[in-house]
Amino acid sequence: MRSGLAPFWVVLKKELVDALRDRRTLATVLVSSVLMGPLVLLAISGLVASLESRAEQREVYVAGLAHAPTLRNYLERQTYTVKEAPADFEARLRRSTFTDPVVVVPADFEAALVRGDVPVVEIVSDSANQRSEASTGRIERLLGGFSRERAVLSLALRGVSLQLLEPMQIEDRDLASTQTRSTRITGMLPYFVMMAVLYGALNAALDTTAGERERGSLEPLLMNPAERWSLVAGKWGAVACISMLIAVLSCFSFLPGQWVLRSDTLAAMFQYGPREALLFLVVLLPLAAALAAVLMAVAIRSRTFKEAQASATIVVLVVSLLPLVNLFELGGEAPWHLWTPALAQNTLMTRVLKGEDLGWVQILIPLSVCAVLTALGVWYVARQLRQAAVK
Amino acid sequence: MIEVRSVAKSFAAPAPRGRRWLPARAHDLDAGGHRARSDPDARRVHAVRDVSLVARGGQITGLLGPNGAGKTTTLRMLAALITPDAGTLSVDGIDVATRPREVLARMGVLSDARGLYPRLTARENIVYYGALQGMERDAADARAQDLARMFEMTALLDRRSAGFSQGERMKTALVRALVHDPANIVLDEPTNGLDVLATRALRESLRWLRTPAGGSKCIVFSTHIMQEVERLCDSVVVVAHGRTVASGSVAELLQQTGESDFEEAFVKLAFVDERSGERSLA
Repeated sequence: MRSGLAPFWVVLKKELVDALRDRRTLATVLVSSVLMGPLVLLAISGLVASLESRAEQREVYVAGLAHAPTLRNYLERQTYTVKEAPADFEARLRRSTFTDPVVVVPADFEAALVRGDVPVVEIVSDSANQRSEASTGRIERLLGGFSRERAVLSLALRGVSLQLLEPMQIEDRDLASTQTRSTRITGMLPYFVMMAVLYGALNAALDTTAGERERGSLEPLLMNPAERWSLVAGKWGAVACISMLIAVLSCFSFLPGQWVLRSDTLAAMFQYGPREALLFLVVLLPLAAALAAVLMAVAIRSRTFKEAQASATIVVLVVSLLPLVNLFELGGEAPWHLWTPALAQNTLMTRVLKGEDLGWVQILIPLSVCAVLTALGVWYVARQLRQAAVK
Repeated sequence: MIEVRSVAKSFAAPAPRGRRWLPARAHDLDAGGHRARSDPDARRVHAVRDVSLVARGGQITGLLGPNGAGKTTTLRMLAALITPDAGTLSVDGIDVATRPREVLARMGVLSDARGLYPRLTARENIVYYGALQGMERDAADARAQDLARMFEMTALLDRRSAGFSQGERMKTALVRALVHDPANIVLDEPTNGLDVLATRALRESLRWLRTPAGGSKCIVFSTHIMQEVERLCDSVVVVAHGRTVASGSVAELLQQTGESDFEEAFVKLAFVDERSGERSLA
């Protein structure tokens, strides 16, 4: 009679071969999970780059330019290029074929200004057109500058001190480092990586438990003289390996991903090198192990793969919703975050992206939570296995 | 040698759905007007009440009984998948309850469920079980080759089992159960879904395994088809309603019932309650 370790390796090897031959599922997971992160990164970088280039262009579109030589003079002094807006700008803004807000000047602008009446200048944009909306603030500040200049000049002519106009001076001081600021944009990356790990484990976990029941291969399997825990541990090992493989691929896919970043600013802000990738893995691998065990425990109660998919939805939902606590920053970081699986990993990976160091305690708490979950899952599956085989 | 002594097993019946909240029908009520279901024993299904059998080496023992007689449950208890409520089971003198893994190492079981792994080849399916039985990979592979020749499935060995026919799947499952050359072979309705030729081939193989050249195996063969038993088995155990109702050779059973036709004898033995019901109706 042999120890339980030999069957463990036999089962592990067989389940790995079996899972890796399921090419279609693997390909789907790879494309949907592993490529998703870099693709999103690419999309964000494209957006940031286009915003940057527009800010650099320093262009402003005005409708009725001829009515406002004073305004034109001011804008040109601010080194802006002033352009006449196209006649059908309203329709084009609505269709999103025109992406800049337009300043509309009334015909009697100059005369009203001289009389001291208050002419109304419109900034036309479409709030459904996100790109035009993004530039509106810039134009508003620009026109505000014009108003202030006019006011200051007319008051100064009447001998009023300028300090009366601005009794208080406002200065911005941003405490965030470049990396911290970038997490506002890259903050969703840990989420994508975690989803990749989850979906990596999902199919294999369901196949080795509910799938085995559905095929009718669980009953003959238990008629081998191997201890149940070693069978289950072997199956768990294989599922965890697959999930970890996806984790590794997913974490390292961001390395080439950042070479294609089109925005220099974003590239400078998004510090993700081999060190960050390794830290991500330190955080993710225990989660992969725990998710494998939990998914198997949920699925062993189901007779068919389809039934198991329905039950696994709850796990998927919990793992996808918990990190949102971070994303929405509900009440900032609390100590319990580190004790909650998925949320803890998201918190730690976000810290890595911010360029902060991870302490031992921060790594050990989620690690031990994952270890307990793994042990519980494997124990439960081993307990249910015999009953599951004959029902 | 396989010995089963007076085993019994009952299961909790699943609660009937849908009608739980409806008023009780007349036949649900006992004499006192209470729901019969309140009696805990009434909610239990007695799959096996009292089954005994002895199967010796070098013999094929048929476990014959109608559908639902308790054959599969008995064989599952033998394979330590279900713990019996009462009675003992042993294989080569080893108690199933206390040393199940030693028993499983001496037994090859083709169970009711005989699923294969569709992404693995027939050979990989077979060698996997060999490895789980503690065989070296080379030895398991060589054994798979030998058995494949015997069951005429050499051409199948390196094909993935996904597209196998019913007969091909059965052969693969059978070879998988025999890969560790067990002294005891237990087959649960092995001819289910097999065509005439495949059934014949299986019979030939079992006859050979019974001979000293084939290893004088102790073979238990469960079925509800009496022709199988008549053609193949050295001794027969007839099971009905969870009880062993008769045992002996085919000739002995014919003599016992005073019939010349084995089908008549089987019906007389296994369906005794139903027949008395028929008579009283007549």
